[in-house]
Amino acid sequence: MKKNVLCLCALLCFSVQQGAMASSDRLRLTGSSTVAPLILEMAKMYEKEHDGVRIDVQTGGSSRGVNDARLGLADIGMASRELKPSEQDLKPYTIAMDGIGIILHRSNPVTALSQRQITAIYKGNIHNWREVGGEDLPITVVNKAEGHSTLELFLKYFSLKNSQIKAHVVIGDNQQGIKTVAGNPGAIGYVSVGTAQYEEGRGTAIKQLPMGGYAATVANVQNGFFPLSRPLNLVVKGEPSPLAMRFIKFAQSDAVHGLIKAQFFVPVGPL
Amino acid sequence: MKERGFTLLIWASALLVAAMLLWVLSDVFIKGLSHLSWSFLMDEPSDSGRSGGIAPILISTLLILLVALFVSIPLGLAVAVWLSDFTEQRSEFANIIRLTLDALTGVPSIVYGLFGNAFFSIFLGLGFSIVSGGLTLACMILPVFIRTCESGLSAVNNDWRKGALALGLSRSATVWHILLPAAAPAIVTGLILGIGRATAETAALIFTSGYVDRMPESVMDSGRSLAVHIYDLSMNVTGGDDAAYASAFVLITLIILLNTFAQAGVNRWLKGRLVAL
Repeated sequence: MKKNVLCLCALLCFSVQQGAMASSDRLRLTGSSTVAPLILEMAKMYEKEHDGVRIDVQTGGSSRGVNDARLGLADIGMASRELKPSEQDLKPYTIAMDGIGIILHRSNPVTALSQRQITAIYKGNIHNWREVGGEDLPITVVNKAEGHSTLELFLKYFSLKNSQIKAHVVIGDNQQGIKTVAGNPGAIGYVSVGTAQYEEGRGTAIKQLPMGGYAATVANVQNGFFPLSRPLNLVVKGEPSPLAMRFIKFAQSDAVHGLIKAQFFVPVGPL
Repeated sequence: MKERGFTLLIWASALLVAAMLLWVLSDVFIKGLSHLSWSFLMDEPSDSGRSGGIAPILISTLLILLVALFVSIPLGLAVAVWLSDFTEQRSEFANIIRLTLDALTGVPSIVYGLFGNAFFSIFLGLGFSIVSGGLTLACMILPVFIRTCESGLSAVNNDWRKGALALGLSRSATVWHILLPAAAPAIVTGLILGIGRATAETAALIFTSGYVDRMPESVMDSGRSLAVHIYDLSMNVTGGDDAAYASAFVLITLIILLNTFAQAGVNRWLKGRLVAL
């Protein structure tokens, strides 16, 4: 028993020693939990290509990313939105885009909805597809659960409060939203454009509606025409360290487009 | 008739609770099992955790728990002994400590997380590390552990203390050889509560031990715990549900295993100290 405890002690002390000798080629990123899984994959790829470099990715939300970058607690911050006017002391580097598209069941004859119609549907003022030129079918409103940044973006774009929305179904992630709409001919929902386009291509029974006259396609998100979209940013204060700058360049390069698409986001830059 | 209704109500309540537990367990079991394999336990995660395994996460979880228990068990036992045997049962100071501990038990874990981040990670400069996470968890499980152990120690019959005194046993020997073994069942309960709470913790760890899913090289590295991994897979990663269920299955199994070990460990330690209670 005593021996075991001693061994444990030695192990822990040794461990602490090891940590103190870590290399200086370290980079720390904190921020948005939407961006973190993507950056983590990029970091792994970068580490594999550059021996000795260690990139630690931490989460905590976009505001934390901005704050940590500003205070120097992180080399780079991650933010899944544009910088606010009060955050202009930081410099954003957009690595990818994310768009949000309205989806209906494939069998629904409605091909477009105005901003006012969508607002009315989500507020519960329009109950039936007949009222917007569709079939005589009750509308099932699918909303996102609190805490999702897509919900925030949706609410902001349509000037809604979450408490005003009369939802029939509340869902978590994109996948669940697509399943819900695909299984219900009267449903309306909103999900990430990349995910929806991928599922539509696979033959899932959904279709995306155009927004502000632009079709919900990855291409329109990429060129910035699609109105309901947001940038995924890396933010730094002042001049980033050489390693930080190299990583940002890497995160913006073509080499990571596969990783971006694997997370259903949209790469930036020319197609 | 009234009696019958009462019996029925009691049975129905018991069945309802058992059914809820079974439902959760079978849900995790059925959905998790299909994704579970030997390589899932042995591989590093890839594709944001959707494929690959959880080996580094499992190791980090165990290391965090080890740090937490390493700190909280001796400290907790010492405080419990002090409260039960080294101070007047009704002393003002001891009561304040008890009140504080009870209040701390009810504090939400995110508060411990923010405290741990501010104190261990930033103020003490430990950064995002397994040590920060372990120490934060230690703070979190100490109040429950101390109060459980204390109640166990206080429940030991006073005749035992008098007997030890009469035999001229020193105070330390009394605590070590008589009181602690006698209070062992309560200590095990405290341990199980602590291990359960610590292993399933997300909020206290996401800002202290962090998000990095690499194999930790030392306890000064950031390491993602299983609960954080499950949270991330189900909330942030599209298509991560299968891996999340499999990880949840591993987490539940781990907690059951650890509790069994805790029970067995204390039993073994008891042998040779006390013959019978």
